This record gives sequence, structure tokens and C-alpha cells, in this order.
Amino acid sequence: MRNVLALLRRELNAYFASVLGYIVIMFFLVVMGVIFGTIVLFLSRGPTQVTAMEVMFSMAWLPALFLIPAITMRLLAEEKRAGTIEMLMTAPVTDFQVVFAKYLGAVVLYALMWGLTGLYVVILRHFAGESSALDLGPIASGYVGVLVIGQFLIAIGLLTSSLTKNQVAAALMSFAFLFLFLIVLSMWMPHFFPSGDLNKALQFFSYRSHMEDFARGILDIRPVVYYLSATAWALFTTTRIVESRKWR
Amino acid sequence: MQPMINVENLTKRYAGVTALNGVSFTVNRGEIVGFLGPNGAGKSTTMRILAGFIPASAGRVQVAGFDVFEDSLEVRRHIGYMPENNPLYMDMRVAEYLKFRTKIKGVPRNERRDRLEEVVKQCGLDEVRQRVIGQLSKGFRQRVGLADALLAEPDLLILDEPTIGLDPVQIRQVRQLIKDLGKRHTILLSSHILPEVEMTCNRVIIINKGRILASDTPENLVKTLHAGGLINVEVRGPASEVTAKLGAIAGVAGVKTRAGNDEFVCVAVEPQAGTDPREGIFKTVAANGWTLRELVRDRTSLEDIFVQVMREEDEAEEERRESRRGLR
Repeated sequence: MRNVLALLRRELNAYFASVLGYIVIMFFLVVMGVIFGTIVLFLSRGPTQVTAMEVMFSMAWLPALFLIPAITMRLLAEEKRAGTIEMLMTAPVTDFQVVFAKYLGAVVLYALMWGLTGLYVVILRHFAGESSALDLGPIASGYVGVLVIGQFLIAIGLLTSSLTKNQVAAALMSFAFLFLFLIVLSMWMPHFFPSGDLNKALQFFSYRSHMEDFARGILDIRPVVYYLSATAWALFTTTRIVESRKWR
Repeated sequence: MQPMINVENLTKRYAGVTALNGVSFTVNRGEIVGFLGPNGAGKSTTMRILAGFIPASAGRVQVAGFDVFEDSLEVRRHIGYMPENNPLYMDMRVAEYLKFRTKIKGVPRNERRDRLEEVVKQCGLDEVRQRVIGQLSKGFRQRVGLADALLAEPDLLILDEPTIGLDPVQIRQVRQLIKDLGKRHTILLSSHILPEVEMTCNRVIIINKGRILASDTPENLVKTLHAGGLINVEVRGPASEVTAKLGAIAGVAGVKTRAGNDEFVCVAVEPQAGTDPREGIFKTVAANGWTLRELVRDRTSLEDIFVQVMREEDEAEEERRESRRGLR
């Protein structure tokens, strides 16, 4: 545990010692700011069935598509390219501790970015007052959803980063995965298969329906278990790939 | 006492390539051992296996009594390892990096500061401790790598090409540092530069193409492998007579004469292995009434030996190939 904490600090340090951390946060705030502004503009035209935060959570895939590859691409690829992985792996730490700390570092940065959007809630509260549009329950469960789904996508980004020495290649691989997972699987496929067993199966894997549930305040344990176990699988696989230097 | 490093029949095969082929050696506590060989000889591979970065294909490797495959973490706690090219986190500051390394190396919390201060002092890093590593000169970076290797007070230091890419002044500084460290640590260092090994190590292991060719003290290697270099003699006397008489001395294998630019004759005398005919040369010259101006024996350096060992190895291989061809 002490090792993981030391490694985690180093990871966070790496984000903020370079400009990457700041650029990523800036990018995120610009994109989310525009999305939030647009939502507020549309919803202020008249009475609606949805809340501003609900719509915003349903748009979480858009920044994720670019940000997850950006914050995960260097994690292992850069260590391999610079050779620093040799320093890391010849210290008395296990491969899994290294992988887990890197995953945690990216999750912390991701959580920090989304934490900043808490300001939107404050803004809404200031202008909309204590109306029903600002039910804190669904907002809290929306954040849980963003975190639970985001940490899985980060684990996938880490996995692709372990496959190559090249950061750009790692970014493109995780982008391709996110694209298939967030858009094709969740938005197109249900459209092609509007009913039947296949539709049910797709619903189960659909990021979109999960996120909508979370944003409505439905805290179902099943998607949480699904994403956490998928993360466990991804981290395990990443560890095996890091170890593969030993049996290649 | 059990040796610091015990390697038995170590073999490493990468896809299709045999990097190490049945290497065995031991390093005792307190020794400074130099691993010498051309690029691609298997030096780095051996060191990586010792440090637990990659496993061997076959053979047994023990460090400080622990098996490298079974007790990898324990072995790593006893080693300070500086990989080839000394990779460091370029975005961190020196003190910050070393502090991070004390933590993951498991230095107890209350000793971290003392250890850090000590290695900073030992490696002369005080003036750069707040600088970003990426902005340091290569010499300073090398010292950061050394400082890192020393942090956890390891029993064994493994340094892969510690002076590569440094300028002559930096090389001298790093060599001196290694020599000082040798008083308290067992050191295994690799190099393809001979004077370096000759100057810093008390034992040399010559390795080529994954096999150990020789292992001894630098002095013994010089003695046993190459009994003597040429003896240069400058004599005033009739050239042909000088050549004939010097060639007849016991222990002289051959003589080459060339005229000097004055009336002196320059003679290169090749002694037979294990003999020193210098006294005989002097007596012969004196007996003939010639004047002797110079009588010097070339000191054989490790470099000559290295080249010779490599050449013998190549010739042996050539013969093996020839004989195989002959069989066909």
C-alpha cells in the first residue's frame, strides 16, 4: 500500500509537472462549459421534462472520447520508450502495484476534472433557486455514474498504453475502443436492433442506458458491478502484458 | 562466506538469438568486478537478469543468498542497479526524484531524509538538488543515477556502463566515485572501455558472444595471457651485427631492425613467452662495446589482451566453421 501511495504521488506529479494536466483540465472545462451553456440556453426557453444536470451527464461521453486517451496514453508507453520502466521494475515493487498506481493516478485526475463541474450546480442554484430542478439525489448519482464508467474507460486506456512504446499509437487504440464502445455499441446498434434478444443484450452493455439511469437518480448495483469487474479484468490483463517481458 | 553473486550455467535466449550461453561466475563480498566485452556480448543481459528485470532461460542465479527467480523482491532490496543509459524521470527535480525512490525502495520513513542527504553529499549533487533532471548535464544525470542506486544502502551495486557518454573530466569524477564506493559496497560494473576496468576493478571478467572467455585480476591477465610486449632497444653499432647478436640471445623469439635517423640502430626484440631477456641484451651490448641509449619494455595493457582474447576466440570459431565445412 505504501508503495502504491508513493507511485500514485509520482503519477499525479507527472501530470502537473508537465503542462499535460493543465491542458487536459482546460480542454475539459472549455468543452463542458460550452455544453452546459447550450443546455441552459435551450432549457430556459420553457418548461421541460429534464433537468440541466441530467442532460449534461448524458453528454459525458463527448469529452471522455478525447480526454481518456490523452490522460492514459503516456502511462506505460512513455515508461517503455524512455526505459524508465527498468528503474521502476527493478525497485522492490510488484508489477501490479505499478499498474494499479498508474490507474489510480488517472482516475484521480479524471475525478478532479469532473469535481470542477460542481461549480455548475452552484451556478444553477444561484439562478434557479431551490427548485425541483436541483434535486441533489440524481446529481450525486450522476457523478457516481460518471466516475464508475470513466474509471473503466481509464483502465482500457492504460491497457492500450501497455501494448506499445508509442504514445500516439496508444491514444489511437484507446480512441478506437472508446468510439466503438460509446458510440457504435451504445448509440447505433440499438437503433439497428430496436427490439428482441439482441436489443436486450445490447442494453446490458450499453454505456448510454447506464448513464441515463445514473443521471435520473437510479443507483443500480448491476452496472456498478459490471464496470468494476471489467476494470479488474483490464488491470489484470495490463499487469500480464507488463509481465510479458519476462516470458517473451 | 557465501558469495555476493553466484551464477551457474546461466543461459538466455531471446526469440532465435542466444544472448548468454552457459555463463558461470561468482563475485565475493567486497570485490569490484568489471564486466568487459564488446557491444552485444551479453553484459547488459546478465545485469538485467541479476537485477530481476528479466528472467533467465536456464541456469541458477543467486544474489546475497537469494534466488533471483524465487525471491525477486528480496533480491531487489539488496541491489542498487543503474541500467544502461541511466533512464530517469526527466520531469522531476533531483531531490524529489530521490525522495520518491527512497519510498519505493522501502527505506524506513525516519531514515529517508538522512539517506537522501548522504547520497546527495556522496555524489556531489547539492548544487543541483532543486534542478529538473531533464535540464542537467549528462555527468550530473549519471550522478543522480548513482545516487539512486546507493539510496537503500544496497549490499551490491550493479552499474551498467556507468561512464558512457561522459566527457573526460566527468569520466574521471565518476570513476573516482566508484572507487570510493568500492570501499563499502560490492560492485559489478560493465564497460567496453578497457582503461576504465583496468583502473577501477580488482577483477575482470571478459565476455563475448554470451560466453566468458577469461576471469582474473587485471595484472594476472596481463601476466598469463601475454607474457611480454616488445622490447625496444637503441644501440650504436653495425646494424647487421647488432641484429644477429641480439637475435641469438636466449629467450629472444625474433628481432626487427630499422635504421634510426642518426648512427643509432633501433631494434624491436620480441621475447619468448614468459621470459625477460633484457639483462641478456644489456650484457651482449656491453660485451661488444656498443653504446646503449634505450632499453624499454612495452607495458602490455589490458587492451592488448582484450584484442588478443577476442582474436583467439574468432580464430577458434573460424576453425570450427572450417572443420564443419570440411566434414560436409
